[in-house]
Amino acid sequence: MNTDRIVVNMGPHHPSTHGVFRAALTLDGETIVGLKPVVGYLHRNHDKIGERNTFLQNMPYTDRLDYFNSMSNNLGYAITVEKLMNIPVAERAEYIRVIMAELSRVQNHLVFIGMLLNDLGAMYTPALYAFEERELILDIFEAVSGARMMCNYLRFGGVVRDIPPYVMQKIKDLVTDRLPAKTDEMERLLSENEVFVSRLKGVRVVDAETAIKYSVTGPVLRAAGVPYDLRRADPYSIYDRFDFDVAVRQNGDMMDNYLIRLDEIRQSLRILEQAVKQIPDGPINSQKPAYQVRVPAGEAYGRIESPKGELAFYVVSNGKPNPWRYHVRPASFVNITCLEQMCIGTKIADFVALLGMLDIVMGELDR
Amino acid sequence: MYGKGILKGLSVTWKRFWDTYTEDISWMLSGKKRYYTEEGIKHRASKHTKGIFTVQYPEEQLIQPEEFRYVPFLVYDEGAEGKKEVRCTSCGICAKVCPPQCIWIVRSNDPNTGRPIPEPTEFYIDADVCMNCGFCAEYCPFDAIIMDHDFDIASYTRNVYGMDKLLKPASYYKNIRPENYERNDAERKAKEAARAAKAAAKPAAPAS
Ligand code: SF4
Ligand code: SF4
Repeated sequence: MNTDRIVVNMGPHHPSTHGVFRAALTLDGETIVGLKPVVGYLHRNHDKIGERNTFLQNMPYTDRLDYFNSMSNNLGYAITVEKLMNIPVAERAEYIRVIMAELSRVQNHLVFIGMLLNDLGAMYTPALYAFEERELILDIFEAVSGARMMCNYLRFGGVVRDIPPYVMQKIKDLVTDRLPAKTDEMERLLSENEVFVSRLKGVRVVDAETAIKYSVTGPVLRAAGVPYDLRRADPYSIYDRFDFDVAVRQNGDMMDNYLIRLDEIRQSLRILEQAVKQIPDGPINSQKPAYQVRVPAGEAYGRIESPKGELAFYVVSNGKPNPWRYHVRPASFVNITCLEQMCIGTKIADFVALLGMLDIVMGELDR
Repeated sequence: MYGKGILKGLSVTWKRFWDTYTEDISWMLSGKKRYYTEEGIKHRASKHTKGIFTVQYPEEQLIQPEEFRYVPFLVYDEGAEGKKEVRCTSCGICAKVCPPQCIWIVRSNDPNTGRPIPEPTEFYIDADVCMNCGFCAEYCPFDAIIMDHDFDIASYTRNVYGMDKLLKPASYYKNIRPENYERNDAERKAKEAARAAKAAAKPAAPAS
């Protein structure tokens, strides 16, 4: 039969495109034959603003990149500038940073699972279960930093304030008692559900070769069988002290992409358990609090394994109070280049789920 | 068996449903109130919470942790006869450190001598631009600007706050942030004592 191809615009206001993202899909019947991601609806000039701001003033702006994980964004930026300043980080602060970054990863992956189910049509129940646990984690962020999402908690050389004892107790409670049980509960709720499994199993997301070709990082890459995790490949902060495995799955299909998130939550909880046990007393910042930090001329590239993939900052200083060049390498933006490869040949019904698998967040993608 | 996984999943939702009611009933039987009490809200934010643990905003509100931060305010000490002793010396550090640059300060001059006096004539914060980062409060050397807890500020107009709206007494500060207040107070007292000791030592020096 002779048929025409049609172009369908998904977004920018499609409820499932995770923010203002538009994809121009070319369809042959129900099959996707071409895809053009259109980004930039949330562009707010982050990199350029970063050059106007002083080094310290950039810290709250990094919160607004991946707004689910402001703690990890802070960490990425802090270690980059610390490299440039060549200063040590207070011992206790290192542990606090790891605790916060890993808690952030746990809640990010929980929300990922919840939102994935939302994309697949299981409106609300799993998403709200995930949000409940996230709420408890955000309570911790709020108590230590003052804000639930825009934490602005790290400073060069340490963190801004110590964890109060009652919050430390709450972290311990969550990490040892509640979150492992809730992760298992999530697994019971979904992993064997036949409708869910038939929807996910065998639907290819990306294979290892393509993923590497397109510089895909994070859980999507690891689900395709590449055990590449910066916490092991290029250890930063104090990750080399902890005992954990890099979660990896072999098939690279949707099911594996879902399962690897659960694996990573469990590994994060392992790290957290060790961190809350080992955390020493002491000062929380190696530097004196100063609103005008002196950063010697030079350049630095710092990268961390954010929950969504490799998040890196490139900062060039010429000795002035503000960076001469400030560039962010966000995981979402690089991962989305692979979207066309992922989608060609699949049915349009799977598109939203495939997009969900990449776990993009527009604050980081468009900057 | 097909459908086993679905049933397993349903058992989770069922348990959640059941938990909500058993929690409510057990709280009722023990004579405590799960809703609209501080104890109940605290329990719903702890690791033991079960079932649905929504806080019924705005009738109930989560208990703000001390560090919670919202648009800052200026602190004044209550002097004799209710005189407002504004702590701010219009040094301008907060305006300088503010990332979105939303603080405007007008310094004051002595009308007779024309010399600057350490108190602002006007002080504006554009609350719509403020990103609640907390830097101003963190780096103010005089603890004159503090992050507020008062977050529900819906209004029909732009929120550019002047001194009339920003000034709040130190007792309010003490109320919302007791621990910080104590710490600051101790520091201020120590500083003042040191200054007094220095002042006392100075005139004594030529006499000896
Ligand atoms: S509030 Fe504090 S930092 Fe700002 S001008 Fe006044 S004294 Fe200086
Ligand atoms: S909280 Fe941050 S953005 Fe708001 S006035 Fe203070 S420094 Fe400026």
